[in-house]
Amino acid sequence: MTLLEARGLTYAYPGGVAALSGLDLRVERGRRLAILGPNGAGKTTVLLHLNGTLRPLSGQVRLDGAATGYSRADLSAWRRRVGLVLQDADDQLFAATVAEDVSFGPLNLGLDDAAARQRVEEALAALRIEDLAQRPTHMLSFGQKKRVAIAGAVAMRPEVLLLDEPTAGLDHHGSVHLLAVLEQLEAMGTTLVFTTHDVDLAYGFAHEVALFEGGKVLAQGAAVAILADADLMARAHLQAPFLLELGLKARRLGLLAEDDMLPRDRFEALRLLERAAAGLLPVTPPPSPKCSRR
Amino acid sequence: MSPVDRVAHLNRWRHRSLGEKATLALGMLLLAIILPPYPAAGVVAAVMTVAALAGARVPARVWLACAAGPTGFLLVGAVSLMVRVDAGGLGLAPGGVAAAAGLAARSMAGVTCLLFLALTTPATDLIAGLRRLGVPAEITEVALLMYRFLFLLGDTAMAMDAAQAARLGHVGPRRRLRSLGGLIANLLPRALDRARRLEVGLAARGWDGEMRVLSNPARLSAPGLAVVLLLEVGTAVLGVTLS
Repeated sequence: MTLLEARGLTYAYPGGVAALSGLDLRVERGRRLAILGPNGAGKTTVLLHLNGTLRPLSGQVRLDGAATGYSRADLSAWRRRVGLVLQDADDQLFAATVAEDVSFGPLNLGLDDAAARQRVEEALAALRIEDLAQRPTHMLSFGQKKRVAIAGAVAMRPEVLLLDEPTAGLDHHGSVHLLAVLEQLEAMGTTLVFTTHDVDLAYGFAHEVALFEGGKVLAQGAAVAILADADLMARAHLQAPFLLELGLKARRLGLLAEDDMLPRDRFEALRLLERAAAGLLPVTPPPSPKCSRR
Repeated sequence: MSPVDRVAHLNRWRHRSLGEKATLALGMLLLAIILPPYPAAGVVAAVMTVAALAGARVPARVWLACAAGPTGFLLVGAVSLMVRVDAGGLGLAPGGVAAAAGLAARSMAGVTCLLFLALTTPATDLIAGLRRLGVPAEITEVALLMYRFLFLLGDTAMAMDAAQAARLGHVGPRRRLRSLGGLIANLLPRALDRARRLEVGLAARGWDGEMRVLSNPARLSAPGLAVVLLLEVGTAVLGVTLS
């Protein structure tokens, strides 16, 4: 079911640089969507359209099938349902302590103090940062700030959470932890949309990929189908994820049956290698490499 | 972040109520101003120093470093009270030494009071306190944001400074001045840009022009306040009877 949709968006920043030129995008409920593209493709700009921060020059954003309005009341109802986390957490944290900062959104929803406090506790627990509650916001590490910024959006219980480059700048451990937390949020009913230029992240984490280039979506569809399309990926100046390439090659060589799962993470890839070495695999090569996942 | 800020956040009295700390610091400041400097100024300075070092466990190193700046400034000011310039040239002013000593003592006492407050109470607590006292939100919000931006811009400036130094931008006074100019000119658009992005971030969380957050200020403890008032009465009695 389409929750949020962009139709024919065009936008140019003051100064005339075209950022979006006729962009279409669909966000389906419960389908993790990666907005994938090179730097300067318009990824952040489209996120800012999806929560009404920027208003398109033409085209429209639709929420639950109805075109969105830009009045104060409309915007506030819209942002209640669609949360946004900026790439630089420092752009978002303003209050003295973590708990105070996270309470900002809930209070803006009009909740009373007790309900807002409840939301803060819930959001801090969801991000597993309860221990930071009383910490001043300028005494946090980069990864901690990131989680606090996400908690600030999560405390408003949005249906859709837009994340701009969520793992950018995080170390391996930090990204793994963050993705686990996001998965948990999704299990609780939040639809995740994130921008990235990292094809491996899009392959490993997204259900669906919208491939961006030059202010347009070149294609949107199941992650594997898009990422395995060499022509499309070349047009977006991106390379196929290594694990996907490995899996497809294994299929072509007959090391992986046509209906077997392609490896999604390093453990699955290593297992594939072990099974291939043990010779426990089908001998007849499949006719043509096609993506069967999903 | 600055050592002052760090100590303000990590000292033992961080979670004592602002009411107690402010009553102590501002009450003592008032006593230092209205009572004759001898011996009240000494008593005030001693009480505040003991309260900060032994009570709040402010590191002595930080306490002395923070006091050093204003002390130098005060001494220069006091010296100018001691001398007079007239037709006969430079000479000691009549009663100048006593006036200078009194002024210096009184000012030092005042400095310890304010230092105590600055080193035991984070700036954000002070701002929140002003808000509770009825200072308009417009003023306290701007103060809060300025405080927050201070650290962000400070970090940016430091990074730019290091980048300039790495490209030999600080070799010689001429080039250093040029680099400094470039740094300052660069900081303004960055600050504006950051402000714009902060606005986007706040709007995404439903900001409607007022920055409400949940805060739970420490409760005023009656025994604590009683101790503070006793100290002040004691200082006042000492100051009046011994002068």
